[in-house]
Amino acid sequence: MTEFTGRHLAVSHVTKTYANGTQALLDVTLEAAAGEIVSLVGTSGCGKTTLLRLIAGLDRASGGAILVGGQPTRGTHRAISAVFQEPRLLPWLTVAQNIEFGGQDLVPSDRRGRAAGLLERIGLAGFGQYLPKNLSGGQQQRVAIARALIGHPGILLLDEPFSALDPFTRATLHELLLGLWRELRPTVVMVTHDVEEAVVLADRVVVMKPRPGRIAETITIRLPRPRDRLSPLFDAAKRRVMQSIDRSLSEHAPPAHKQATEGSAFWW
Amino acid sequence: MNAEAPIEPAPPDLLTEAAPVMRRRFSADWMVALLLPVLTGVAWEAAVRLGLASGRLMPPPSRLAVTAWGLIRTGELQTHVAATMTRVAFGFVFGALAGTALGTLTGASAWMRRLLDPTIQAIRAIPSIAWVPLFILWLGIFETSKLALVSLGVFFPVYLGVLSAIQGVDRKLIEVGRVFGLSPAKLVWRITLPAILPSWVSALRTGLGLGFMFVLAAELLGASEGLGYLLLDGEQMGRADSILVAMITFAILGKLCDSLLVAVSRPILAWQDTARTRL
Ligand SMILES: Nc1ncnc2c1ncn2[C@@H]1O[C@H](COP(=O)(O)OP(=O)(O)OP(=O)(O)O)[C@@H](O)[C@H]1O
Ligand SMILES: [Mg+2]
Repeated sequence: MTEFTGRHLAVSHVTKTYANGTQALLDVTLEAAAGEIVSLVGTSGCGKTTLLRLIAGLDRASGGAILVGGQPTRGTHRAISAVFQEPRLLPWLTVAQNIEFGGQDLVPSDRRGRAAGLLERIGLAGFGQYLPKNLSGGQQQRVAIARALIGHPGILLLDEPFSALDPFTRATLHELLLGLWRELRPTVVMVTHDVEEAVVLADRVVVMKPRPGRIAETITIRLPRPRDRLSPLFDAAKRRVMQSIDRSLSEHAPPAHKQATEGSAFWW
Repeated sequence: MNAEAPIEPAPPDLLTEAAPVMRRRFSADWMVALLLPVLTGVAWEAAVRLGLASGRLMPPPSRLAVTAWGLIRTGELQTHVAATMTRVAFGFVFGALAGTALGTLTGASAWMRRLLDPTIQAIRAIPSIAWVPLFILWLGIFETSKLALVSLGVFFPVYLGVLSAIQGVDRKLIEVGRVFGLSPAKLVWRITLPAILPSWVSALRTGLGLGFMFVLAAELLGASEGLGYLLLDGEQMGRADSILVAMITFAILGKLCDSLLVAVSRPILAWQDTARTRL
């Protein structure tokens, strides 16, 4: 039962204003049921990373609350683990040690056993003693996923974890992630720029719009898994999400010249 | 996707793979490095033998060898080296420990930094030799005051190096530790300390160099043995050869100690993904 409640995530009226006055999030409310996969999509700067960091407890919200299993969280939470946009492996630890690093709460023998299992699972069975610098980007990202899952987290956060990878590697990692998800059933919140990725993985796609960051629309994807990327239904779902993103942009879009000045202000 | 793994050809240990190549490079480097001093020595020797120079103020290598051999045979040089090295060793250990401890403290805690760093920086602004009279007053003219001076010289570069390294630790790696629930103490132990290791070694090397400088200052200001004493003695007796022997001994000792530090630290820094293969 605790297993179940530890996987329920609620973001309640969360607002985030950075110290420099940037309003990154305004009244964001979002719920993810236990074991659900939610993806966050939206244009650059609409607050996706900010939201994920707030959920992870790496930053504090200016208003509202984050609830895990119904309990408001303060700071980082042991049920929540994360994969960042970059692998962020600790360069002085071997691949196996990096995976074990994610299981701080485990007893050492458990930690080693699970790490060995995960190494095999991510297709890096012979690589346990390698240093991160001797792995490719895709291999490193697989290690980061294994590290995030070794502690059997209730909630897994992913911030554009595959955006630096080629489409083939990305597709294999989608399979890997879904396979691990089927085994461990964490609740997943995943930021992505890739609409196809969102539709392949998610039960629900949350479209966000910028300035200030808000939720524009939530689209439920009712396709059975495994999903066929070439099926017409898949295509229809993708189109639906893209249209929603377009809409969130156009209704927001300020007059052209204003946008230009804001853009330059941002650059400086 | 599992089919992808067995194709990977990378060797499990790139260090052993690269070792023979590096060793060959290493000996070639040695020869190139020795070229300039050896040629200069030969040229000077020739100049003196041919009567082009007197060699009184700048004795040729053969004279230096004779002097050095004389000092070694009587055991004098060994006594001086032992005295100097003991001072450097103890001063280095004290200074490095204090610098590391205080640097870690001020680096890890903003409050400690506000409390301690301004004072430490102010003390650093005092030319370190200015401490000598005070140290002699407080600690006497013998070993303790010399050790204090060497420690002081080692302390500042190590302190500064550790402090700035801790402040420069990648926030992204710290966040990894936070996400996986490390306590603040564990965060320092498992992330901050390994991350600053390369800078720490650099700081220790700088500190060691300064340790040699300060041991000389201490010995010049009054000692009955040590390489600094040998230098001073050479000046008073008008013996350029013993001055030069002392200087060359300093060069050799300094280089040896630095190489030792590098060799000891190399295995623990093998994880670094940097362009330089050697420190
Ligand atoms: N530390 C910070 N201090 C001030 N402003 C910030 C900070 N981090 C982000 N912002 C601002 O908050 C807004 C949202 O940023 P965020 O990184 O959450 O966007 P994002 O949706 O993840 O964008 P992207 O898709 O490009 O990663 C942006 O306008 C950004 O400039
Ligand atoms: Mg982002």
